[in-house]
Amino acid sequence: MSTLTLDPQRGAFDAADSARSTLLFGVAIQVALLAPSLLAYGLDERLINGVSVWSKPVKFQLSLSLLLLTVVWLLPLLPPARRASRRVRWASLAIATAATLEIAYITLQAARGRASHYNADTPIETTLYAVMGVGATTIVAGAFVVGVAIWRTAPEPGRAGLRLGAAIGLTLGAVLTLITAGILSNGGEAGHWVGASRTDAGGLPLFGWSRTVGDLRVPHFFATHIMQALPLLGLAADRIAPRRARAAVLAGAGLSVLVVAAAFAQASLGSPFLR
Amino acid sequence: MDFDAAFAAASQAAMLGWLALILLPRWRLLVGALRYGLIGALALGYAVLAFVFFFRVEGGGFDGIAEVRALFTSDPVLLAGWLHYLAFDLFVGVWIALRADALGLSRLLQAPILLATFMFGPVGLLIFYACRALPAIASIAPKGTTHVDAYA
Repeated sequence: MSTLTLDPQRGAFDAADSARSTLLFGVAIQVALLAPSLLAYGLDERLINGVSVWSKPVKFQLSLSLLLLTVVWLLPLLPPARRASRRVRWASLAIATAATLEIAYITLQAARGRASHYNADTPIETTLYAVMGVGATTIVAGAFVVGVAIWRTAPEPGRAGLRLGAAIGLTLGAVLTLITAGILSNGGEAGHWVGASRTDAGGLPLFGWSRTVGDLRVPHFFATHIMQALPLLGLAADRIAPRRARAAVLAGAGLSVLVVAAAFAQASLGSPFLR
Repeated sequence: MDFDAAFAAASQAAMLGWLALILLPRWRLLVGALRYGLIGALALGYAVLAFVFFFRVEGGGFDGIAEVRALFTSDPVLLAGWLHYLAFDLFVGVWIALRADALGLSRLLQAPILLATFMFGPVGLLIFYACRALPAIASIAPKGTTHVDAYA
């Protein structure tokens, strides 16, 4: 038997799902901007650092969507009461709002043919670059809060690996992102390159990382995607070797720290990730 | 008539309306004042300008860029076009705001969407379309509930 509701419809989602719906609205905003950005990518001949002005918006729309969807995916590990808690709902709203403001500025600057990151050309752009740092910190802090909430939840039978992967993935990923992105953004005049290059032309396909000099975006990438890698590892371990799921996730966590450290060392020494 | 002054006055009035829509609570009186008062006044202004000036423009029309460009060489018709933008954009903004409230979309997330609608009309509408579609596609809405959209 189905229920018929008439407008005005309030609370289309119950409280436990309000955090998830907020994050999904956040994804919708990214996707809505991705479509015209992709078309603009094919049409706009303007370049920044040798690549299309639309390269950055597209990459950020994709990666922010992925981050938001990751939290949407992992939230059901929390029992409904905790998902409906003020802390989790606020963390979700903070992530979605900060991601929206980040992408709004990145997209607007691309349309203006201007850089968003490392832009100290005008006082307002210098200020907004700093504000973007606050926004990015808000996003990872929100992911961290959700990770801690998952950490404090007893695992359901058969999901121990996923729960641990989610808890460590979100918290460790947040901390390492903060460190790597913090160092990355302090590059100042040098930008994200270590070495002479001041161009993104001829970078690795899709990622755009330099193939001639060190690129500090590489450790940031690996640090941030721990948020996906460890939950996926936990999920796989739950299926394949449930008894060793915890050990697998812990080993994966150790390995990811090593990968991030190695990528950071490589970039700091001025070597490209791949030639 | 000073079309420049009318242009500035209409723009300022519309901006105040947008600020109220973005920042203030959704009081019935406020929504009514925006919908019928402000948008009504803009529509009335458009109608008068169109009646008096539209058909005076030599070579003006809607058939191709050249004809539309000819329309916009006339200050009063350009003002009419601007009032058209202001009125319709704000109408869409009020519609988005009320629909977003019904969806449970936080005012914090509504603000940038409404701002996008204010500055770049269709961009904001596109974003809100996605906000309506995506959670529904992800089917988070409670099962067994058929939603009838009485306003859409």
